[in-house]
Amino acid sequence: MVSETAARRPVWLWGFTFFVGMFGTGFAARWFDLGAIPSMLVMIPPMLLLTPFVRATERAQAGCGALSPAGRRYNRRGMAWSFSYVLLLAVAVIGSKTLHAQGPLLWLLALLPALPVFYLLWAMARYLVEEQDEYLRMQVVNAALFATGLLLGTATVWGFLETFRLVPHVPGWAAVPVWAIGLGLGSFVNRWRDK
Amino acid sequence: MNNRLKVLRAERGWSQQDLAVQLEVSRQSVNAIETGRYDPSLPLAFRIADLFGMAIEDIFQRG
Repeated sequence: MVSETAARRPVWLWGFTFFVGMFGTGFAARWFDLGAIPSMLVMIPPMLLLTPFVRATERAQAGCGALSPAGRRYNRRGMAWSFSYVLLLAVAVIGSKTLHAQGPLLWLLALLPALPVFYLLWAMARYLVEEQDEYLRMQVVNAALFATGLLLGTATVWGFLETFRLVPHVPGWAAVPVWAIGLGLGSFVNRWRDK
Repeated sequence: MNNRLKVLRAERGWSQQDLAVQLEVSRQSVNAIETGRYDPSLPLAFRIADLFGMAIEDIFQRG
């Protein structure tokens, strides 16, 4: 349960806490070599911060007259994607370890966490169709373009650094978190331009 | 593009929220149009013109 004072925290503080919590526990789990299953478990508490983060975002959007019914639905779908992604990732990691999966079962478990991404893509497409407010729609498109540019730039630079063995390998699934960060930054750029 | 939306709205005693509700858009959209940060699409410009009972060119002018 989030307290009244905590509920009024600005959206950037919730966002900062959420991302630091997620990436912090991720890096800590890798640094201390916790193993697959404990690494998943330590990421659950920061994941729960997503709910107050989204609620704070909606309060901020409503406060500046920018929360549409389509936007509210998109936020709900985004949360559903996030939680199902983490849940299926946990199922895949724990399942592959406990079942000593091989062959087709391992293929199935490996693909499991990727499935919610298609739901996210559908949710984005639905938002663009359902949003009746052309200005709000343009802002989301701007933020998505910002996120795509950030992802392409980061992936290209990192890829060449990796080719010349200057940085460690990063798995391809990191594209979605990088894109999500870009979407958040793009939204902040929109809000900054609106002031 | 310049526009007289803020003046026309004030003449009728409407708030940005009042205008937003009548146009079925967000208050942020009304604010963005009034301050010249966003030029509305042709369909929205027609809705604005219809609401004020004016021609589009009487509300929006070249900047």
